[in-house]
Amino acid sequence: MGKTILIVDDSASIRAVVCFTLESAGYEVFAGVDGQDALQYLDGRKIDLMVTDLHMPNMDGLELIKVVRQMDMYKFIPILFLTTESQESKKLEAKQAGATGWIVKPFVPEKLLAVVEKVAR
Amino acid sequence: MDQFKQKAIEEAYELIADLEASLLVLEDNSDDKNHISKVFRIMHTLKGNSAMFGFDYIAEYTHHIESIYDLVRNDKLKLNKDIFDLTLNSVDHLNLLLEDVNLAEEANKTRHTAKLNELIDFVKKINALIESGISFIDLDAAKTPKEQAPIENVVEPVKPVEAEIIIQSKVEEKTENIVVEETKEQIISYLITIIAHKEMLQLGTNPIFLFDDLAQLGKTEVYVGIEKDSVDFIALNPIQCHLTWNVILATSQGEDAIKDVFIFVESDCDLEIKKIADDNVFDKSDAQTFIYQILETTSSKSLLEFNHSFEIITTPVVKEEKKKAAIPTVKATVTEEIAAPVEIKKVEKTSTAAKDAAATSIRVPSERLDTLMNLVSELVTTQARLSMFAETSDNTEVTAIAENVQKLTRQLRDIAFNICLVPIQNLLTRFQRLVRDLSAELKKDVELYIEGSETELDKSMIESLSDPIMHILRNSLDHGIEMPDVREKLGKPRMAAIHIRAFYSGANVILQITDDGAGIDLEKVRSKAISKGLVSADVNLTKKDIIELLFLPGFSTAEKITGVSGRGVGMDVVRRKIMDIRGEVDVDTKPGAGTSISIRLPLTLSIIDGLLVEIDTVSYIIPLSVVDKCYAVEHSRIVSAYNNIIVLDGEQIPFYYMREEFNCSTPPPVLAQIIVVRYEEHRIGIVIDTIIGEYQAVLKPLGKMYKKQDMISGASILGDGTIALVLDSNKIIKRFGHQELV
Repeated sequence: MGKTILIVDDSASIRAVVCFTLESAGYEVFAGVDGQDALQYLDGRKIDLMVTDLHMPNMDGLELIKVVRQMDMYKFIPILFLTTESQESKKLEAKQAGATGWIVKPFVPEKLLAVVEKVAR
Repeated sequence: MDQFKQKAIEEAYELIADLEASLLVLEDNSDDKNHISKVFRIMHTLKGNSAMFGFDYIAEYTHHIESIYDLVRNDKLKLNKDIFDLTLNSVDHLNLLLEDVNLAEEANKTRHTAKLNELIDFVKKINALIESGISFIDLDAAKTPKEQAPIENVVEPVKPVEAEIIIQSKVEEKTENIVVEETKEQIISYLITIIAHKEMLQLGTNPIFLFDDLAQLGKTEVYVGIEKDSVDFIALNPIQCHLTWNVILATSQGEDAIKDVFIFVESDCDLEIKKIADDNVFDKSDAQTFIYQILETTSSKSLLEFNHSFEIITTPVVKEEKKKAAIPTVKATVTEEIAAPVEIKKVEKTSTAAKDAAATSIRVPSERLDTLMNLVSELVTTQARLSMFAETSDNTEVTAIAENVQKLTRQLRDIAFNICLVPIQNLLTRFQRLVRDLSAELKKDVELYIEGSETELDKSMIESLSDPIMHILRNSLDHGIEMPDVREKLGKPRMAAIHIRAFYSGANVILQITDDGAGIDLEKVRSKAISKGLVSADVNLTKKDIIELLFLPGFSTAEKITGVSGRGVGMDVVRRKIMDIRGEVDVDTKPGAGTSISIRLPLTLSIIDGLLVEIDTVSYIIPLSVVDKCYAVEHSRIVSAYNNIIVLDGEQIPFYYMREEFNCSTPPPVLAQIIVVRYEEHRIGIVIDTIIGEYQAVLKPLGKMYKKQDMISGASILGDGTIALVLDSNKIIKRFGHQELV
């Protein structure tokens, strides 16, 4: 069975690209528009990986990561975050929140897939 | 990617519209935190998206505005009119950039350069102030912006460099491959030591992937070890990682490629990459000794043991422990203890593996199965219509097709049923725990034995069974089974046994719950029923009748009401619940020897094979599973039969005359039909008018209004749209047979 990925980003076009890229590669994709919205997909269904943006309204990526790491069912899933900041501080903060890895924006589809492959296979 | 560019531009327009709205709010209230972070986020998104979709000019431009608002957001810069005007101006400029993203027109390009420079100057000015050590910049309070102008040439342009990085990261990817090809010739061997931090696994990292990735780079051998100091097997927390790995890697890809593999785990482990040879160590004639020598040097401090990953794990462990006398012997025994369950697991696995090997399985959400079952039900109904139509039309071709559809429908139905069957195991194993806890609470020794847990039942039924079985087990533990001392005096083993057996019997599944306890005291039941006014004292009751009393609502024999059972909601609830799923409950008991409760369940719930019959022009369905034999008998014989008993095939068979029971007044046909059905251990006839034939009935529940009647277990829609009621022969017999009792 294909892996299921939850992507969370407030930008519709990023969602579209990420969805398209992942779906073409055979993943099943759910998309949330922000952290709050993403929680509805974390309802017990199988999620193999979460990819989230950091800056989002309502609930930002850091907070979402922390919440997910508290959920029994999703405690151990790999979580990637999207970041434009190449600053170490942001990465560190996200890692401390419980993220597994990151994807630096801008990225080409191949790179996205390569990073996803790295943590979920 | 191109198909998304249009979408990205549309989104950018929306973002800019939002930006304008926020700016208007900020104009009135420049301290509104929400809107400041909103502006920041919009810029951030614009920048990110533009970079994604190749709108590099917008990306660069928004990057600068973003960094300004980042300062504002973090209370390092006061939002003043200058910043404000600059942002508002940028809105217009961004709109222009979106119209001509690649700045194809020369005029636009010049304009962009001017705008960008203006912006960069502004950022430089602020950066200069930050570098001079001011923690909070209020441009209005500090200096007038005009005075700042001369500085611009002096200060090193910091920000533009970063903007370049954005564009560069794309280029990097292209060059990466070229580099790889150039260095392919030279193979170098490395020793990579990874000491995982305890929380590594909690961050979603799967270390196995790391080794897979390393294996992509070249030939690898992985040696696993345990961090000596941190491992306390007794207090071992499985979500923590106590492992260390030594990886020997021979690769042509260089150290950077190795580091790339660990990019996400750098902070979750201590990583050491050491060059051990300028060539491929695996090609050496004494490769193994060489590797062991190297591992000796590294592992001596941090590793409890190491072993070849492909060798059986036990041999090196023993070797190591002999070598290292310092390791306390306790640990060795602990390892043995751990090893034992692992082996048992393996045996289990192989036994089930044989089963699994043949049938690979997939998981399907249960609502899809429900939908499938519903559709099959609908199909069966529709197929009935088709068959009916084919019969009445004289077209032989249609008849042939209808027959084929009927065959296929039947097969499809059977397969759909099978899919919905799940082994009863899941249900039964949870009772192990219940029995253990309850027996401890009641201070009784009880062992639960489960047989036939592979028996399959409709998944919807399994859930409804949980409560009744729990009740039965509680009853049995509380009332049935004696205290250990009492058992000993009676010559029984102190340890009582409860058996749950599940097995198939025709179209039914039977669940038998047997205990070896005291059994039911029939006399006590009788006197209790009399004292409660459920029966009168002068009625002569058979054993069966007395057991039947147990199922009356409000009956409880427990002398004391305990927490375990005996609240008076006992067997009547059990029976009602089982009846809801078209099952039956039977009780058999031998005083002093124990009680056995059988639950008989139909295999499936929604579609049954039935016999379509007619009584006084109304159609009824009798489940085929209970039908034993059909006889045609002259009607006069039925009416003249004494005591409703008729001799068929030399056997006396009691019968029920449905015309009489249903109060039908129309003249009966000359020839009546007797359907002989099995009822418990007897054969009993049901007299009806005519048999129409076999029929696949899709059971539909009756409405709430008919809840109180218990002869009809459901209804089915026939091919011509009329309704046939499904007769429950067992209940009919009970109802008409026990009239004198009630």
